[in-house]
Amino acid sequence: MAETASPGSSTPTGPAFESPVVRSSPSSNVGDLALTDASATTKWLVRASNDGPTADLLGARFGTSQVAAGGALVLGSRPGEWIILGAPAEVAATVADLDAHDGRDFVSALDWTHSRAMFRVTGAEATRMLEKVCGIDWSDHMTPDGAVVSASVALVTCDLARNDVNHDDTAGTPSYLIFCDRSFGQYLFDALVDAGDEFGLSVLASGVS
Amino acid sequence: MLLVPCPNCGPRNSTDLRYGGESHARPDPNTASPQEWRAYLYLRDNPAGWLRENWYCASGCRRWFSIERNTATNEFRDPPLPGDKRGGAA
Amino acid sequence: MTMSRQGVQPTEVIDRAAKLRFRWNGKRFSGFEGDTIASALAAEGEHIFSRSMKYHRPRGILTADYWDPNLMVQVGDDPNVRAGHRLVRNGMDVRSQNAWPSLNRDLKAANGLLGRFLTAGFYYKTFMRPQWLWPTYERVLATFAPGGKIDIDTPHGYHDKRYTHPDVVVAGAGPAGIEAALAASTAGARVLLVSHEHAVGGHLRYSSDAGDQGALAELRASLDASDVEVLTDSTVTGRYEDNWLGIVQRNHPIAVERLIKARAKVLVAAPGLIERPYVFEGNDRPGVITSGAARRLINLWGVKPGERAVVFSANADGDAAAADLERVGTEIAAVIDARSGGQISSTAGSSRAVEAVMANGEQIDADLLVMAAGWTAPTSLLNMAGDRPVYDPAAARFFPSDPPSNVLSTGGLAGDADLDGLRQHGAETGRLAAARAAAVRHRLQARTARALPVEGDEPAWAVDERVPLGRDPHPELFRADTHGMVDMSEDISSKDLVAAAHEGYDSVELAKRYTTATMGPSQGKLETVNTVAAIAEARGETISQVGTTVWRPPYAPLTLGALAGRSFEPVRVSSIHPWHEANNVTLIQAGQWLRPDHYGDPQAEVRNVRENVGLIDVTPLGKLDLRGPDVPKLLSLLYVNKWMKLGIGRVRYGMMCAEDGVVLDDGVTGRLGEDHYMMSTTSSGAGGVWEWVENWLQTERPDWQVHVTPVTTAYASINVAGPKSRELMRRVCEGVDLDAEAFPYMTVREATVAGVSGCFMWRIGFTGELSFELHVPAGHGCHVWEALMDAGSDLGVGPFGLEGQRIMRLEKGHFIVGQDTDGLTLGPSTGMGSLIKLDKDDFAGKPELAWAADRPLPLVVAIQPDDPDVVPEEAAQILRGDTNEILGRITSSRFSPTLNRSICLGQVEPHLAAGGTKLTVLLESGERISATVIDHHAHFDPAGERLRG
Repeated sequence: MAETASPGSSTPTGPAFESPVVRSSPSSNVGDLALTDASATTKWLVRASNDGPTADLLGARFGTSQVAAGGALVLGSRPGEWIILGAPAEVAATVADLDAHDGRDFVSALDWTHSRAMFRVTGAEATRMLEKVCGIDWSDHMTPDGAVVSASVALVTCDLARNDVNHDDTAGTPSYLIFCDRSFGQYLFDALVDAGDEFGLSVLASGVS
Repeated sequence: MLLVPCPNCGPRNSTDLRYGGESHARPDPNTASPQEWRAYLYLRDNPAGWLRENWYCASGCRRWFSIERNTATNEFRDPPLPGDKRGGAA
Repeated sequence: MTMSRQGVQPTEVIDRAAKLRFRWNGKRFSGFEGDTIASALAAEGEHIFSRSMKYHRPRGILTADYWDPNLMVQVGDDPNVRAGHRLVRNGMDVRSQNAWPSLNRDLKAANGLLGRFLTAGFYYKTFMRPQWLWPTYERVLATFAPGGKIDIDTPHGYHDKRYTHPDVVVAGAGPAGIEAALAASTAGARVLLVSHEHAVGGHLRYSSDAGDQGALAELRASLDASDVEVLTDSTVTGRYEDNWLGIVQRNHPIAVERLIKARAKVLVAAPGLIERPYVFEGNDRPGVITSGAARRLINLWGVKPGERAVVFSANADGDAAAADLERVGTEIAAVIDARSGGQISSTAGSSRAVEAVMANGEQIDADLLVMAAGWTAPTSLLNMAGDRPVYDPAAARFFPSDPPSNVLSTGGLAGDADLDGLRQHGAETGRLAAARAAAVRHRLQARTARALPVEGDEPAWAVDERVPLGRDPHPELFRADTHGMVDMSEDISSKDLVAAAHEGYDSVELAKRYTTATMGPSQGKLETVNTVAAIAEARGETISQVGTTVWRPPYAPLTLGALAGRSFEPVRVSSIHPWHEANNVTLIQAGQWLRPDHYGDPQAEVRNVRENVGLIDVTPLGKLDLRGPDVPKLLSLLYVNKWMKLGIGRVRYGMMCAEDGVVLDDGVTGRLGEDHYMMSTTSSGAGGVWEWVENWLQTERPDWQVHVTPVTTAYASINVAGPKSRELMRRVCEGVDLDAEAFPYMTVREATVAGVSGCFMWRIGFTGELSFELHVPAGHGCHVWEALMDAGSDLGVGPFGLEGQRIMRLEKGHFIVGQDTDGLTLGPSTGMGSLIKLDKDDFAGKPELAWAADRPLPLVVAIQPDDPDVVPEEAAQILRGDTNEILGRITSSRFSPTLNRSICLGQVEPHLAAGGTKLTVLLESGERISATVIDHHAHFDPAGERLRG
């Protein structure tokens, strides 16, 4: 799964995507804890029955995530609800497969790119940073890599997914995706920057994962 | 803060949920007498003891569910039982 | 009494190489790193630290720790700082409180002369009558009130907040608490150890015993090598439902204070014991201190507490204090041993210092009296968990009775033993805590959707097999044969309590509130048991019979700043917000939204829309994407009107009522495709309507196939309004025929706008003008807005804000739910009763609306003041003639630039609703004006010709 700065799939050739984060100064030095505004990433929302053929196709049950065959990341965000994200082509591939149920399921899918701001926080201290703004238990057994949860972050209801950055030769680095209503994007971004300050948070340029 | 056992998410802080109050069935709107309808709107048993009540997991799964709680001890009868107002557990 | 710094003590916590300078009431003082404010001042010979609350008696050190009621000072702009706990910092500006003009010459001490009048209930009795004098009393009393000075300009500072979910929280870091933490950690639990003091170790810290010091070193080394997270200078302030704990951390490096909200699986309470002062005549005279104070002063800070001491000892701590005093050269005039019947009855001396002690009937010259009279068990956290501790007369203190099984206690709270015994009990408690925490953890993990799968079955709830701690016998020492201070914070004597009991306030809860004993800053930590004992004595009963007050949160005070934390105030903005900010906008907060109110001149904005074309950002308008074959049924159920036959491309207005028939929300819904609808709601109702829809679908109609998705901010919404709006839209839209015939009023079309595909627009309008409400994928909101501004420059296009829209909607007489309706406004009262279709099988609120149909109801009507220049205030009352009988109220009012007169909407009694009815409106000024009900809701263009154009 690769987040991308390219515009949402609804306007592949349209004007540039405007991020909800308009006040952001990328750090000159990149430290061990980094925040990225990845709001431009293509995201779709899929609804279907929680235990039907679409659920089987997407695989990720509520609270978990997995990478689809086409490369998109599928988050089981609610019972019978999934968020699909990735490069436009990756997402399109998964969305195209949704018709395969032959009427045995009641399915809807809509482009959610413009609806949700999306941030990624990566680093060993990411958990300590999130503890300052969110009451969820972030320990490894309760929120393992791949976990998906929705919760209040700095008083804004968000979808969160743990999506560690794994390298072949080292242990994974904790990394979290945070989605909120687009209108809260700047507020939440600022709250995250504030929470990360004591850990030397650096802000990366938009759209780089 | 109370931990409320959401049947979908698992135990969550009560601030993650919206309290929906005492469970009550909706009378048939075409046959209900004013007394019956207003009892549905306004009258609650409010016992000191076991009470079936509704919760909406607002910050979590966004599903309504009903569960029994002892209002005197805050103990939940666990796991949540299916009931007339339990929704969306599917 | 002369206190002074002594030679280096092996146990001291000060760094004599690091000298710190500070000011005390303007004078220069110095101390060492590790000194508290009190120890530094004492080391330089200060012995008066405050004036007592009521009588302004000089007060000195009593306990030399956090709980010392006599050591409340002001540090800079920080009032009520505990000088017995707060560490000295370089440059600190420390001042005394509750003294005027100065600590040493306090004029308020005149109160002391009147002392006999300030008896229990004095305030209640004296200031009750006459009632009209209370404001005067209040003003005078306020100047005498204790406490420091608040500077309202003090910056908030960075107050941090953190959530954590440890397996075990140990409150208290004495030997038992440390052992509990270590054992729980060794057993695999994630442990948070919270020390109220600046360092772990509890009473071992100020023990000069070599064995104690060896044990302390060993415990600290084990802790350093463990995974236990240790917080010092931090307090578990409260225990709430399901072991939700508030912890305040006072020494966080980047925050003034940090409030930690911890969900502990098991709480171990190990707060130790608090030494209880003894009550006798002159017990608040400077120079009377507890044995703990003597040992802390000597062993932690190398301060000698006095030259010649009497030690009143009922226990080993008293004996240890005598030994410590002797070691630093204090002459021990006498040890009065309470265990063999020794008794003290009073001190003598000036108001400022002890000069002699009356003991066993003889007078002994001394400048120091050290008391070791027994212990108070701070059972607060157990109380908060629902426990009602029980008094044991043989041990002269309270013990836990039956706390919930996820709250354990150890250390002095649980009983007595030698150090090894306490450590043993602590370790067993830690293992028990870890075992029970593992069961809770297993259950939480098994039930949490996102968690890792659990392995094995849930462990059984571990049985408590700890060897209980013993209970050392201790004499019951509360009051001597004389009366003295019980509550030093509040200046309550044992005589006051006896008097209160004799006046009938003999229940402990009543006596507490009547006398205010235990209600001051020390909150019962020192005085609760003595208070209960005094009442028991007055009633001729035992302490067990009298019972005790309930300790409630917080265990120790915390600042409002800590509770407020970093203030999270979420703000929502549309994607066009950057443009507004760059264009002279005046914003208004509407719920969480920041919205353009106007751009300088709202009246001009209205004229421009009526004459040319204007743009308003209406992004906050709620939008719900509805998909599925059963959407029409859902709409029919939620709205009062009919929805089964809405054609594709059509838009319809709908009103929603709650089950009690009261108007809930309104808006338009359009059909975008076969099974695809878009519902709009009011801006403020967006969240509520979404939950309302989900509730119906999930609980009443779970078999219906409808997917509801809030898409409010997926789109930037722009209303393009005015006679030239069609011309403007033609210049930016592709793929849609904008002619009136092809795209009539109340229809919806999809389009590409300024190169952005996936837009939709509907022809509706709150303003009453020809208008196109355009919904653009939010990530292109600014682009489309700017394209419209550019394309329409020759048409006179300009932005308009919420204020302009509010004027125009009022000109058109459109009501706003929540503004022109309230929590009692039934559907028909809006004047849109004809929308309500009672022949539908079912819809929300149907029975109430059916019963209301035949009833005369208040109605929303349009009203015009007869004087066109007078704009009545919103909520102005409509009265019957010159009487005060209320017949209605103005709900909205503005000056209309279009009509050049004032216009209103209001709710009136049904018999006043007919056009032409004359009304009397009461203005805020008291003036009554006349106004007239007009025929239509619309003050302007009632036929709606402009709208449909």
